[in-house]
Amino acid sequence: MTGGGAGGCPVCEAPVLAGDVYCEACGHALGAPACVSCGAAAVDPEGYCERCGARQPTGRDHAEFVLDGGAGALTDRGLRRSRNEDAVALLEMGGTVVTVVCDGVGSSPRADEASAVAVETASAALLRGLPQAEAFELAGRAVTKLATSLDDAPACTYVAAVVGPDGGATVGWAGDSRAYLLPAGTPLTEDDAVETGEITAWLGADADTAAPRVRALAPGTSGLLLICSDGLWRYLDGYAFPTEGTPIEMAREMLRHALRRGGQDNVTIALIPLGEAHG
Amino acid sequence: MGDQPAFTLNIDQNKYLPLDGREVHAIVTIGSTGAAPVQAAPAEAAEVIIIDTSGSMSGSKIREARQAAITAVRTLRDGVHFAVVAGTERAAVVYPGGNGSLVRASAATKAEAERAIGRLSAHGGTAIGEWLKLAGHLLTAHPSAIRHALLMTDGQNNERPEVFASVLAGWSGKFVCDSLGVGDDWVPAELRKVAEAMLGTFDYVRNQGDLPEFFRRLTQTSMNKTVAELSLRVWVPQTARLKFVKQVSPTLLDLTGKRADVNPLTGDYPTGSWGTEEREYHICVEVPSGQIGQEIRAGWVKLVRPDTQDVVASGNVLAQWTDDLAQSTRINGKVAHYTGQAELHELIQDGLNARAMGDVGTATARLAKARQLAQESGREDTARLLEKVVEVDPATGTARLRRHVDKADELELDTGSVRTSRLRKDGA
Repeated sequence: MTGGGAGGCPVCEAPVLAGDVYCEACGHALGAPACVSCGAAAVDPEGYCERCGARQPTGRDHAEFVLDGGAGALTDRGLRRSRNEDAVALLEMGGTVVTVVCDGVGSSPRADEASAVAVETASAALLRGLPQAEAFELAGRAVTKLATSLDDAPACTYVAAVVGPDGGATVGWAGDSRAYLLPAGTPLTEDDAVETGEITAWLGADADTAAPRVRALAPGTSGLLLICSDGLWRYLDGYAFPTEGTPIEMAREMLRHALRRGGQDNVTIALIPLGEAHG
Repeated sequence: MGDQPAFTLNIDQNKYLPLDGREVHAIVTIGSTGAAPVQAAPAEAAEVIIIDTSGSMSGSKIREARQAAITAVRTLRDGVHFAVVAGTERAAVVYPGGNGSLVRASAATKAEAERAIGRLSAHGGTAIGEWLKLAGHLLTAHPSAIRHALLMTDGQNNERPEVFASVLAGWSGKFVCDSLGVGDDWVPAELRKVAEAMLGTFDYVRNQGDLPEFFRRLTQTSMNKTVAELSLRVWVPQTARLKFVKQVSPTLLDLTGKRADVNPLTGDYPTGSWGTEEREYHICVEVPSGQIGQEIRAGWVKLVRPDTQDVVASGNVLAQWTDDLAQSTRINGKVAHYTGQAELHELIQDGLNARAMGDVGTATARLAKARQLAQESGREDTARLLEKVVEVDPATGTARLRRHVDKADELELDTGSVRTSRLRKDGA
C-alpha cells in the first residue's frame, strides 16, 4: 500500500484503501458509525460495536437539548435501569421558554410511553399559552388513554416551568419531580409523597390528581431555574452546585455527579437562566 | 428453493454479571422445523456402509452383520449413491466393486449389493482408519451431496494410535460417520474419537440381534438429512476470549478445537448435516471486566451455510454488569442443567478410567457422585447402570465399588455418558 491509504479495518485491522466499501480481509462494512466506547467505526445496525461489543446509547438512553438563548436540558438512563423512563421537553417561542420533565412510575406498565406523551402534550399546550392547570389536564388525559384498564395504567410524575421574557415564571407539579432556584439551591416545589417515598399524585388512568400544584416567581427574579427528576435530587444533599459554564455544561456536571454517586435511577435535568438572557 | 428447512436460533442465558464477573455462559438452541413445503427433489445423498469382517466376527456375529448391512441397503432411498465396504486390516469395496466409485440405489443395484453382502466372511485384523480412508475417498466424488458413513465393529483397533489420529484429523469434516460397537471386545474410547472427529454418533449394540434395527434407524436418519453442512459462526469482542463451544444436546461434543478462523474475532465451528431436529450448544465467553450498567454483546452467533455463506439464523449473547446480587447470582436453568450433564459425563469417564487403572478411591468417589447427579437430573437409565458399578449404603451413604460388573453394563455406561437429558419443563 503506497499513499492514499485509509488506515486499517476497525474490526480486523487489515489495511484498507480509501474508498473501499468493505474490508477485503474480513468483509466488514467500512464507514459505520463510531463506537462511543472504543472509537472503532464499527457500530452495526443492531447498535452494538463489532469490535468491542459495547451497546451504543439509543436516543432515549442519553439526549441533550440546547436553546439559542442558553437554556439546556438532558436526560440519561443512569447506571442501574435497563431503559430511560424519564422524558423532557425544552422549547422556546416569542421569548417564552417552556420545559416539562416527567418521570415514568416504575411500578406501572409502559411508563416510558406515559412520560413521553405527557411532556409532548403539556409542552405544546404551555407553548400555546395555556395555563399550567389546563396543560396538566391535557397531559393527564393523554396518559390516561394509554391504559387498557385500571390494572394496566401507565403513569408518570410531572413538573413544568414556563419562563416569560420578563423573568417571571410559573412552576406546576405533581409527584416527586422538582424545581430549584440556583445558585442557592432553594427548593421551589414540595413533593407529593409520603415519608417512605411513595408518591401521592401523578398522571395516569389510576390517578385522582385533578390539578397540579402551582408556584409563581415574580418578574425580575434572577438566577437559574433547575427542573429535575429524582434521579438527580436524591444525590443533592450537601452538593455544591456548579457555578461555571453554560447551562448544558452545568447539567452535564450534575449528571456526572449523579452517576458517580451510583446513578440508581434515570436522571433528567433542565436549566433555564432567569432575567436578562434566559431564552 | 422451496425445499430448505427453516432454522430457528434461541439463546438462553442470564446476561447479568457481578462487577468482577468475567465468564458469560449461554445455551444456543437451534431447531430446524423442516417445514419444507413440498420437496421438489430430495437432497442428494451419498452413503457408505462399513462392515467389520475381521476374524473375531466369525459365527453368528457375521450373520447379524450381513443382515444389518442388507437392512441398511434396503433402507436407502432410490437414487442415493452408495457403496458397501468390508473392513479388516485393509478396506475393500464389496459393492459395487470395480473402479471404486459409488452407484445409484435402485431395485437392481440393491439386489446386487445384497448378494455381494451375503458372500462376506470373517477373517483378518482391524484397522478402522483404513476403512474411514476408503469411505472418504468414495464420498469425495460427491461434494455437493450429504455425505455419510455407517460403521460397525466388534473389536479393538490394531492401528498405531498416531496413524489412527492422523486419519481422523485428515478426514474430519469431510463426511459424517455414525458408528456402532458390538460384543464385549470393542473400545468405546476409539469410537468416541470417530464420533468426535466425524461429527457423528456412536452407540453400543448390546444384543447383536438388534444390529439390523440400529442400521435401519441410522440409515433412515441419514436419509432424512436435508442440509449437507452448517457452521456455527461465533464472533466475540476483540478484548474477549471464546473459552468453549460444545454441543450439549442430544449428545456432548466439544467443538472448541474445530474452529476455522473467519477473521481474528470470528470463527466457524462445524455442526455436520441437518434434518428436522433440535440441537443445543453451550458457549462460554471470557470478557474483560465492565462497569455497572454497561451492556455489551459478548457473542454473536450465526448459523451459516459454508457453501453459500448464507446466514440462516442468528442471535446475541449479552453481558451486563450489575451490583444487584439478585440479578447476577441467578443461574439460567438451561446453563445449569447442561453444565451438570457435562460434569456427569466427566465423572463417569474419570471414574471408569480410575477403576480400570485400579485406583479404587478415585473410582468410588467419582462414580458415587455421578450416580447422585444422574438421579437428580432425570437420567434414570444412567443411574441404573451406575448402580451396577457402585453401591451406596442408603443408611450411611458409604459408597463401594461392586466386585463383579457385567462387561456389557460397563460398555453401556461408558458409551451412553455422552447422551444428555433435556431440561424438564418443571425446571427440575
